[in-house]
Amino acid sequence: MDFTTMLLQLSTGMLESVKIFFFTLIFSLPLGLLICFGRMSKNSLIRNIVKVYISIMRGTPLMLQLLVVYFGPYYLWGANIGGKRFLAIIIGFSINYAAYYAEIYRSGIESMPVGQYEAARLLGYNKIQTFGRIILPQVIKRILPSVTNEVITLVKDTSLAFALAHMELFSMAKQISAAQTTFMPFVIAGVFYYVFNFVVAILMEKAEKKAAYYR
Amino acid sequence: MKKKIFAITLTLALAFGLTACGSGTQQAETTTTAAAERTQLVVGFDAEYPPYGYMDDKGEYTGFDLEMAQAVCDLRGWELVKTPIDWASKDMELDSGAIDCIWNGFTINGREDDYTWSVPYIDNSQVIVTAKDSGISTLADLKGKNVGVQSASAALNVLNGDQSAVKDTFASLTEYGDYNTAFTELQAGAIDAIAMDIGVAQYQISSRGEGYVIIDEILAAEQYGIGFKLGNTELKDQVEESLMQLVANGTYATLAEKYGLTDYIILEAE
Repeated sequence: MDFTTMLLQLSTGMLESVKIFFFTLIFSLPLGLLICFGRMSKNSLIRNIVKVYISIMRGTPLMLQLLVVYFGPYYLWGANIGGKRFLAIIIGFSINYAAYYAEIYRSGIESMPVGQYEAARLLGYNKIQTFGRIILPQVIKRILPSVTNEVITLVKDTSLAFALAHMELFSMAKQISAAQTTFMPFVIAGVFYYVFNFVVAILMEKAEKKAAYYR
Repeated sequence: MKKKIFAITLTLALAFGLTACGSGTQQAETTTTAAAERTQLVVGFDAEYPPYGYMDDKGEYTGFDLEMAQAVCDLRGWELVKTPIDWASKDMELDSGAIDCIWNGFTINGREDDYTWSVPYIDNSQVIVTAKDSGISTLADLKGKNVGVQSASAALNVLNGDQSAVKDTFASLTEYGDYNTAFTELQAGAIDAIAMDIGVAQYQISSRGEGYVIIDEILAAEQYGIGFKLGNTELKDQVEESLMQLVANGTYATLAEKYGLTDYIILEAE
């Protein structure tokens, strides 16, 4: 296999990794907010269920969770799981990352001084308006560095999809490496991951600068 | 309150677990009946297992087993779906119906009762590969050496079973996810020898060039077959029938020659 073919093959793998990355972000960021509300709920039943959920998601390996999400439906209900590989990967990644994002959101929301809520009420804002127009914009600003951390970890975690034999960048590199008996694909894969993360870091930095409107 | 919630969660978990046990057996019956109107064959394989299944220079999945599978599908009018799997999850993939069979240098010996097997089609011995200048030429020489093996492989089964006396003399036995890593460690001197299938060993040695030898004394003589989910004899019979046609028309021998496996084929036309 010549170098160009190898690059081309690895690029198709990269595309799969990027797909996992974007789908996971699209689903886990809003889901995280929902879980965050559940975690801060006044209803102790909801709060405790969400606590258990977060505890399981953070306390077990993501690779294991992927196996459970993919094979679980068969072992639990005898469901046919043929062709559901990608779906399982997206669900597995999303519910895992949502748990982390929920805690990041909570750290942001709980750091807001009570005075802001009181002031908003005095100005006639209702609860939803207070959260949407006053609290959330400030929260986003505060949590951006932590979110960047998780997003970058996600790029690298996409390689865990190899456990379900999805042909993303890392699986692809492994296979080419086995057939060609060389380590070159891993080196290239490493460069791919780094470049992708470099771009992500730059974009997040820009977002942070944009959010720093009071400085 | 807290205790109550814990109890409820536990009950729910148990209930799920119980229903799971009940439905598992029903599924096995429904999948086998579906074989009549079969339009495709989903073959599960380890894409890191040349020359049986791997990615070729153009980036397509190929290999002796996959070309044989393609030929069987051509005869039957099925569409071949090549599904690379993680070898460690092969049982889950097969049980859950995500794949129809495992066709990828799959050793029968030691797994006779775990799958519904086709006739054996390749003779496959478990051998020891070592560096040329290592001074290892018999199994006894492996005493005090560091040996590598693929996890969940037939070679590992042999070392844990019939040849456990040999294994006990090793300084260490390291399990690798794939042979590529094992060979790199052998090259780098981290291990002294690798226990593996002879066909794969020959592919690795021929593509890596000089410096490796297969020692004459073999660990075990074994055979490859196509593994189907236990009880799925209907599909097994269909595939086997076509397989024998390929033996009769010479496709089997031609493909074996293409992949350098001529010395190891064992099926003969009736």
